[in-house]
Amino acid sequence: MQELTNNALMLKVKSGDLDKLGLLYERHKKRLFGFFYNMNSDASLSEDLVQNVFVRILKYKHTFTGDGSFTAWMFRTARNVNYDYYRKNKIAFNKSEISTVEYKLEDSDTVEKGMQRKDDISVLNHAMKILPPEKREILVLSKFKEMKFSEIGEILGCTEGAAKVKAHRALKDLRSIFLKLETR
Amino acid sequence: MQQEKYEIWMMEYLSGELDENEKSKFEKYLQEHPELQKEFDAMNSTWKQIDRVEVPVPSEKMDISFFNMLNEEVEKKKPITSNRIERLKSFFGSILKLQLAFGMLLLTMGLGLGYMLKSNPSTPAVKETMVTDTNTETEEVRGQLVLTLLEQNSANKRLQGVNEAAKLNDASERIIEALFTTLNNDPNINVRLVALESLSKYVETPEVRMGLVKSIAFQDSPLVQIALADLMVALQEKTSVESMKQLLEKPDINNTVKRKLEESINHII
Repeated sequence: MQELTNNALMLKVKSGDLDKLGLLYERHKKRLFGFFYNMNSDASLSEDLVQNVFVRILKYKHTFTGDGSFTAWMFRTARNVNYDYYRKNKIAFNKSEISTVEYKLEDSDTVEKGMQRKDDISVLNHAMKILPPEKREILVLSKFKEMKFSEIGEILGCTEGAAKVKAHRALKDLRSIFLKLETR
Repeated sequence: MQQEKYEIWMMEYLSGELDENEKSKFEKYLQEHPELQKEFDAMNSTWKQIDRVEVPVPSEKMDISFFNMLNEEVEKKKPITSNRIERLKSFFGSILKLQLAFGMLLLTMGLGLGYMLKSNPSTPAVKETMVTDTNTETEEVRGQLVLTLLEQNSANKRLQGVNEAAKLNDASERIIEALFTTLNNDPNINVRLVALESLSKYVETPEVRMGLVKSIAFQDSPLVQIALADLMVALQEKTSVESMKQLLEKPDINNTVKRKLEESINHII
């Protein structure tokens, strides 16, 4: 039902009623922000990227046909925004990714040793960050409420079954990273 | 079972896409395969924990910058059209101002001249009586003319007759009757419309009002129906509501007329 009105709203935006984008923003900002935050763990960067998504939606509004779901279309845009951001900052990102991961591993070591505490959640947080982005992405998407695998398939450009298999394998990888971190 | 199929199945179970029946099927399958059960438990607990990864709430700054961006886009769209209008306005403005000034000058000159000619004080009383005499005479002749013309076969002649009737200052009962006959029975729509126009001059007379109200139900032409409805709204004639409702109940009524009548009824009530 909501998807229906999402599509109707977006078609209005397409036809020039730009104010309707405000409604779509209010509906989806948290989800989009959550998506980016889970991908980069940087709140301020995530806010910027959410903004970029809506700028792009305005710029490419003519490509929205209303055939598929708006949410899937929006997340495809979000993926592109995320991808472009990393491509632009490629060198810096790659370096910082490796160094932050190592830094964080060391960091978690000292914390654990210092406080003699193993917090599953924080370990899982680290595991998520170590997981390759494309795997992290599918887990983040499939954990969002109301997001069906059919939509995830639409976002990733694969079948529903393939999306499920990918999610399963990502979850498996996450599990093994998690176990490795825990036994350190 | 194929590995891939099992993986899909497990994801469906975890993400809650399965219904109760299918869920118990999956659970049964696990019981039959204890080696899978262990792996599933591990996956399940990890899956549940992903949810607990805390995500902060986006700041107000995000809202502000979004709506700033949106407003800018909306504003960007507007100026294009309003700029064009502005340019057109300034282009025509100079011409229009001159024309307007010239028009006003001509109008005041005309008014002044007309006033001077009209207010000629030296009009003898004799002349006035003569004029009124001739006036009543022409009225009589015109009345006769109207009656004869209204009975002609040619629609043109009848139209002329109705037009003549409009020139009368005070119509006799016979003429009003003739006009009503024309309004209700004339085969030509234009003649009926003009008859209605002529009759609307005499709406002060209660009989004319009554006749017009009755006439609503007789009309089959949408144009005349609409003209009558307009007149009724202008007169705020409450008795006409009944006739209009009657007309509304006719099965072959035109949609536009229907809307018009409903609107008119609302206006009057």
